[in-house]
Amino acid sequence: MIQSVDRASRILKALSAGAPERLGVSELSERLGFAKGTVHGLLRTLQAHGLVEQHRETGKYQLGAGVLELSAGYLDNNELRTRALAWSELLAVRSGESVRVGVPNGRGIVIIHHVFRPDASLQILEVGAVLPLHATALGKAALAYMPSEVVDEILSGELPRLTAHTRVTREALMDDLEGVRERRYALESEEAVIGDSAIAAPIFERRGGLVGAIGIAAPQERLADGERQSSLADSVIEVARSISRDLGAPTWPAVG
Amino acid sequence: MNSRTVRAWLRLAAVSIQEQRDYLTQLDAAIGDADHGSNMSRGFTALKTWLDTRDDDVAPGPLLMAAGVTLAAAIGGASGALWGTALRGAGAALGEDAEFDGLQLAAALEGALDAVVQLGAAAAGDKTMVDALGPAAQALREQIGNGAGLAAALRATRQAGEDGMKATALMQARKGRASYLGERSIGHQDPGATSTSLIISALEEAVNSGCD
Repeated sequence: MIQSVDRASRILKALSAGAPERLGVSELSERLGFAKGTVHGLLRTLQAHGLVEQHRETGKYQLGAGVLELSAGYLDNNELRTRALAWSELLAVRSGESVRVGVPNGRGIVIIHHVFRPDASLQILEVGAVLPLHATALGKAALAYMPSEVVDEILSGELPRLTAHTRVTREALMDDLEGVRERRYALESEEAVIGDSAIAAPIFERRGGLVGAIGIAAPQERLADGERQSSLADSVIEVARSISRDLGAPTWPAVG
Repeated sequence: MNSRTVRAWLRLAAVSIQEQRDYLTQLDAAIGDADHGSNMSRGFTALKTWLDTRDDDVAPGPLLMAAGVTLAAAIGGASGALWGTALRGAGAALGEDAEFDGLQLAAALEGALDAVVQLGAAAAGDKTMVDALGPAAQALREQIGNGAGLAAALRATRQAGEDGMKATALMQARKGRASYLGERSIGHQDPGATSTSLIISALEEAVNSGCD
């Protein structure tokens, strides 16, 4: 590992974790165990690249706007996101609900694309949000089709209780994932957020591996009707299948 | 205190939420879907209409429980489910008695708190309505336990709810949709804790207005 690149990366991560607080040279030096001179030099270099900004009044540091450009580059290069754009719009229009696309990352699923519910209401953009794998439709749609050793690893720790409806035991969750594979879509019923429900289906790539999931989210009462739920699930499955096909997946769902 | 106190409380809460509807929506727009004001307002307006159809013979406990069911049916989303269960929890704690005193009122607030904690799995500091309801219930229990009069005890209860509400601004949301925002949720007062504080203030007002 190149030491200076490693250190610069750790400075960026420390500034990200510290936000919205800004950090000074001494604080960074203490947190990371680097000499103050080293921290100062690295910050200056990062600042020259726009990745770090110095607050005019306090002299403390925060992430720079350059980081946003980098992350936009990540989003643009993500093939799943590119392929999912048009299909997500279609799903939002067809379902009348908000649509999110996520990719698994560690014990969470990161939202890489979000289409607002097509009405006049104010909604907040959830791109970049990390949702819990065990308690969301997107997460469970992904988990159900991930290699069992990866799932074992993820489920080895404690499953946080987020509402009274969260499945917090391995057994309950494994049962639910079995149901996901049978139905070919995952259902979330107030397991992550009281009042919120969701439906999601998995997306696969050309080698048949799972890359992410797409789904709709809605207030609980809008998915309570069984007939509407299953017709929405059909739309979600159709779109997940189409994106997978565009990505070159040979079958949907992938043959385990 | 009796059923008339409960009716006055719910009516005053409805008025207050109606008045603060835009403010609640504005708070929610920062960390949620900007529907908290309209949801709460719709629910409590429906509750007010429903109260007009009820006769005075119902004891406070069953009245609150039925109010909880009505509220949950009138609004969906988190507000309906959580306030529905809160009112049912408060009603269950009051039992069948026609009258209740300060200690029973403290038990009712604790019943509401327990029901919400159970459903939402939220703890103090998670940036939810628990951060207003918890300190308020605790203040009422302490005040009554220390022999304070009802008016003074409810003043302290309202104050504790308001302080709890304000404290949510500095918290990072760990429950609810706002938790998806992670650190970006810091710096915004929680809309649920805010409406909760309004409802607790209405309780003080109802008792002071001499409806008992």
